[in-house]
Amino acid sequence: MSDVNVKVPARPNFVHIFRSVIASIAASADFTYDEIDDLRLAVDEACAQLLVVGGDATTLSMLIRNLDGGGVEILTSIDAEGAPWPPAGAEHTLTWQVLSALADEARFEQMDGHPALRLTKRRVPAGAN
Amino acid sequence: MAEQEERLVDEERSVELFARLPKEPSAREDLVRLHYPLVEYLARRFAGRGEPVEDLVQVASIGLLKAIDRFDTERGVKFSTYATPTIIGELKRHFRDKGWAMRVPRRLQEIGLQLSRVVSEMFQELGRSPTVPEIAARSGLSEDDVLEGMDAIHVHSIGSLDAPTDEDGGTSASRLGAEDETFELLEGWASVAPHLEKLPERERSILYLRFFRGLTQSQIAERLGISQMHVSRILSRTLSVLRDAVGAGEG
Repeated sequence: MSDVNVKVPARPNFVHIFRSVIASIAASADFTYDEIDDLRLAVDEACAQLLVVGGDATTLSMLIRNLDGGGVEILTSIDAEGAPWPPAGAEHTLTWQVLSALADEARFEQMDGHPALRLTKRRVPAGAN
Repeated sequence: MAEQEERLVDEERSVELFARLPKEPSAREDLVRLHYPLVEYLARRFAGRGEPVEDLVQVASIGLLKAIDRFDTERGVKFSTYATPTIIGELKRHFRDKGWAMRVPRRLQEIGLQLSRVVSEMFQELGRSPTVPEIAARSGLSEDDVLEGMDAIHVHSIGSLDAPTDEDGGTSASRLGAEDETFELLEGWASVAPHLEKLPERERSILYLRFFRGLTQSQIAERLGISQMHVSRILSRTLSVLRDAVGAGEG
């Protein structure tokens, strides 16, 4: 499947669109109901974190790639200029703890100079656990 | 109605247990067990409104525990008479807070309820959470319906719910089988710790089990005897409450 790229206004009341999109893609990637719910929660948390540093930002973006061998990579970003990123002590925040528990990997990154969060979740084939 | 409710409970035994309660904390457990039929009876009166019965029973149990803790034996009122409005109040608060029955169309309520049941049945059978195609095949719902139902489950008015200042204080969760070893949760996260402490104990335990112990939502649901849907809502709501609290604190 091809990459999916979604952009919405950088405001909290648009995040639900991302939640529905990730749920739909995760469902077709054969994730379980629990995992889909986790991904919805992770996207919610990531966007909330980005919106905190948002400031003058106008656009919140989410890029979803299907991984070879099953799974998804989600790159959420916000077009905020000169925001302090990653936040101080980023890896000692509840956000990071939450994201790390919900995804296999969570990383604070820059994308084109903008704050971004990369989440990776691999699919364990149903029945293998 | 009152008579019917009283017949559910052995009042003599209830009086005897309340007399022992100040010196024997274990009497509290016996009181919970003794009044369980009342809890179940009242919870069932709220069935058919889009919430799984096991969740309603759990909500009603919290009402019972509050009533046990507040009951004054000197007042000369039967405990079941005293407890009934407290338990009903807790159930009504649950519906008011969820706002779900009011704002979600009937069709989606039914899908949500069916989803909740099928997800937990399949977890029991498979020993893991089912995929969406599996849920669709079992329930006869389309995959789109499943996803729509999932969206609908999360329709709630964030912020007004089980606010951290809840007088409940969650004295009850550990009695209902939740863990109270949330020390690790409080210790590591200095900036959030004061807000975590204000959460009802049930919320804190679920947060701890999911994010620090790595239990899945379905495993937590099984352990606490509630639906995955309930766990899922509590997680998203609690994270939202914490974000607001921390954000407000830092300006």
